[in-house]
Amino acid sequence: MEAVARKFKPKDFKSELKPIWCPGCGDYTVLNALTRALAELELPPEEVAVVSGIGCSSRIPAYTSVYGFHGVHGRALPVATGLKLARPELTVLVTGGDGDGFSIGGNHFLHACRRNVDITYIVMDNQVYGMTKGQASPTTAPDWEGSKLTPEGTGINPFQPLVVGLASGANFIARVSSSDPVNMAQIIVEAIRHPGFSLVQVLSPCVTFRPEQAEWRDIVRTAVVDFTGDAARAARRLMTDDGFNVGKVLYKGERPPFRPEHEPTDGSIAELEARFAL
Amino acid sequence: MNTASNRDGLIHTIPELLAHALAMETEAAERYGELAQQMETHHRDDVATIFRRLEKAETKHLAEITEMCSKVELPHYAPWDFKWTGAESPEAIDIGRVHYQLSVREAILLAYEHERSAAEFYAGIADTATAADVKKLARQFADEEQEHIGWLEDWLAKCGPGDAVAVDDPDPPLGQE
Repeated sequence: MEAVARKFKPKDFKSELKPIWCPGCGDYTVLNALTRALAELELPPEEVAVVSGIGCSSRIPAYTSVYGFHGVHGRALPVATGLKLARPELTVLVTGGDGDGFSIGGNHFLHACRRNVDITYIVMDNQVYGMTKGQASPTTAPDWEGSKLTPEGTGINPFQPLVVGLASGANFIARVSSSDPVNMAQIIVEAIRHPGFSLVQVLSPCVTFRPEQAEWRDIVRTAVVDFTGDAARAARRLMTDDGFNVGKVLYKGERPPFRPEHEPTDGSIAELEARFAL
Repeated sequence: MNTASNRDGLIHTIPELLAHALAMETEAAERYGELAQQMETHHRDDVATIFRRLEKAETKHLAEITEMCSKVELPHYAPWDFKWTGAESPEAIDIGRVHYQLSVREAILLAYEHERSAAEFYAGIADTATAADVKKLARQFADEEQEHIGWLEDWLAKCGPGDAVAVDDPDPPLGQE
């Protein structure tokens, strides 16, 4: 508790556009947690950018008052990487879903972790493609029979985003539940503050195409151990984890973020033309 | 369900109480507004009307508390430092418990549960605080919440059999074939 009031309220980070997610969707909570986190960090809206791809959760940039880029399916991370490298003073966030991030954008995910640029990636994982009406995604369990495209399940082991993120070089890894928005706000604050690539997996139920996920709120439990900076130890924990340990940071690395040196520039057209002169 | 209380007596001063009240009423007003908007988007005007009325009531209550706070230097609490024991402030309906087919009765019961939690939160402070001014103000806030609880009890009493039935959707979302 401090005696100084914050400059911004969470509402200051919301746009006039109202969300059209299904009532009960976990993504509402993520939007609320994100705006609370930005208010707590006292980041002026004009110094923040949210980048996304395609999907229900990728609509978040439109619902915020910060700079936003609603881009191409699976390509949010390279756009965000370019933005952060060109404008290192900005706080760059990426929001999206499991299909966008781990299937269509799977290769970008690996290399974003590896590059370790100072951005925060918030993935709303509902284990389904919701916007296209309920197909199995990379994180769907192999025996989920809810889609007519996979009537007997996919039979394929689900993608493990946190294990893969850790192995690929993500510098901060956490898992939270949309049923605890205050904890989520706290973890997002930590993720933004931690240098390098921060990965936050949010268990965010799809109430329409995976109604059984409403039970997640009763299944999730607060992780019993605090974060480690030892990647091998974190890997052992994540490999033996059932996916429902939430609410804490699981890994905080110390790898320096990728920050290429920029040549001094005056930003003029003449200077740009000079660079391309033959 | 939020089960906020002040049984551990962590709110001792008027500025601390007002900081909690301001956050709670802000979140309640905004949440009722969000839920009303969600229901309007899904053409559930019956349920949206309930949430809009509560939003209006909470906004009025918020304006009164904001006025009180203008004369006091409030401490800043990070969202996770407030003394609620639930996941959020007690008066804010959990978004995950709402559905587009929510019946009118379910919506009223949900609001009733959270208004009661808010009253219990203030009553808990009134019971455990040691300072007389904190006790008095917390009791006043608890009584104001009772007014909302009274409305909801009236609305519940007026519910007909149809109000308890989840709304049928003749064109439900279907998985892509």
